[in-house]
Amino acid sequence: MNRRATLMLEIKNLHVAVDGKEILKGLTLSIAAGQVHAIMGPNGSGKSTLSYVLAGRAGYDVTSGSIAYNGEDLNALKPEERAAKGIFLAMQYPVEIPGVTTLTFLKTALNAQRRARGEKEVDAMTVLKTVRKRAAALKVSEEMLKRALNVGFSGGEKKRLEILQMSLFEPRLAILDETDSGLDIDALKLVAEGVNALRAPERAMLVITHYQRLLDYIVPDRIHVLAKGRIVAEGGKELAHELEAKGYEHIVGKAA
Amino acid sequence: MNANVHWLDERRAEAANRFAALGVPHRRIEDWKYSDLKTALDGANDDAAAAWSLGKLPTDVELFDLANAESAPHWVKAHLGSLPQNAMAASSLAHARGGFALRVSRSANAAPLTLEFSGAGSVRALIVLEEGAALTLCETQVCEGFSNLGVEIVIGANAQLTHIRMAPRADGAVQVEEYAVSVARDGVYRAHFFNGGAKLSRAELQIALAGANAQAHLSGVSVLGGTAHADNTTHVTHAVAHTASTQLFKKIAGGRSRAIYQGRITVAQGADKSDSRQTAKALLMGERAEADLKPELEIFADDVKCAHGAAVGDLDANSLFYLRARGIPETEARNMLVRAFLEEAVAEIADETLRATVWQAVEDALPQAMLP
Repeated sequence: MNRRATLMLEIKNLHVAVDGKEILKGLTLSIAAGQVHAIMGPNGSGKSTLSYVLAGRAGYDVTSGSIAYNGEDLNALKPEERAAKGIFLAMQYPVEIPGVTTLTFLKTALNAQRRARGEKEVDAMTVLKTVRKRAAALKVSEEMLKRALNVGFSGGEKKRLEILQMSLFEPRLAILDETDSGLDIDALKLVAEGVNALRAPERAMLVITHYQRLLDYIVPDRIHVLAKGRIVAEGGKELAHELEAKGYEHIVGKAA
Repeated sequence: MNANVHWLDERRAEAANRFAALGVPHRRIEDWKYSDLKTALDGANDDAAAAWSLGKLPTDVELFDLANAESAPHWVKAHLGSLPQNAMAASSLAHARGGFALRVSRSANAAPLTLEFSGAGSVRALIVLEEGAALTLCETQVCEGFSNLGVEIVIGANAQLTHIRMAPRADGAVQVEEYAVSVARDGVYRAHFFNGGAKLSRAELQIALAGANAQAHLSGVSVLGGTAHADNTTHVTHAVAHTASTQLFKKIAGGRSRAIYQGRITVAQGADKSDSRQTAKALLMGERAEADLKPELEIFADDVKCAHGAAVGDLDANSLFYLRARGIPETEARNMLVRAFLEEAVAEIADETLRATVWQAVEDALPQAMLP
């Protein structure tokens, strides 16, 4: 097998502008199937921009460079096409949607993805059974599933529901955008356990975080430090502790 | 002249004078700013008589045909034309020669009563709920040309009226409806208005919460496409203490349609502990659609709770992205969000069958309304 074929995500010299302002300025990064990579960086470094551009959000314009996902140009795909092909973004701020119950949403999304892949749709009962099985481990209650999507959910509940979706959709590339933000230590452990349970040889993960704390629970294979729109340092899991001890300034300053 | 009809002639003459003084409303009159009736009518007159028909009457509901005014029973004489009349209500009272009056007694069974207004012209209706009575009224209005419906609703102590008003899209029609409602102590008026829109469609509610614990709960959806126009205007008066009202109106406007909500709440002096909530929201499906939402509060009491809000916008970009990022195609995601938006108002209808009827009307109207 050649190395290229095992790379799931290959980002080369990526430049992204939002409202005409360049946020990512030549980012290069690749992740192979089965690996968990972390992106750490200070506020304003471009972490969320990277997650949005991977998910295909409108208004995040790739001005140069490329993103290949399993060898395919990602930039040509709509958000829903990316989802059907196995890209999942656990969002930093999950959206509240009044009037759509959580379970209905899960069923609609799952079947939309299956339909796009030419797979048979699953009925409501099957979805409910699958969801129940996975919800228990994440302490997502039956009552939450009946409520409108994310409406009135606590910060922790919203993040748990994101991980439940990840577990249900079984993506090939999961991007977790600051999934730890706003979580207390118990909620963080619960979410991390949920994520770890989904580690698999055929799945890659990109964990985006500001803090080293999350990486004590989701131990990455590789850490990339993002600052001012570029990767400025890379290393193994020990890099997180160095960042924690010395601060971003130290690393970012050294790179500049 | 028959002395027995004299009572009605007097009221009609009074109403005619009032209408003559006020004239056909037009856009320079603040309350009609968004619904220029004079221009829409363009000289059409309202001499014709719109038709009405009622379904099977529940037991202990008494019907009186207003065409036989000379034999009107005391309860018709007591109430017909007794509630406040604005210009168009005065016009329907002055000009209508047809119509009906209903009296619901406490022992009436709760079976829903269907009512349909059709044709062109003026018509009057009077609905009286006696103390402790309950009625569910399912009104459909399919009038054409110019129609002017004047409806008076008198809700007695501890009586409850649930009123569903369906107005499917009627291109070219000019539909004016004036509902004057009084609610006595412990009485409840619940109403839901579905609008598909017309050349001009105006449904105006004047509600007086006249006794302690009287309540009015209003909701409605407008699903408008093409050049449809629909105006919900409400004026709820909390006349005494301990009265409550809620309003929730949702509107979708596509094409070059125009959705209007004007809601005034008056809390009279001494109407302390009144509680009112009022929300109107509109989603515009294209750049040429328009929504005008105008909630207003007039408070003359001290100790009251009043909350109001109005918002016009496009579908929320964050929500749309969230659904698409989960694999739901854009068209389907938009449909989901629009339905969810409207559903909140339709959910105000407690009865499942009625809710399904209204929802079907929403579904029928949506494809047109979703077009930019």
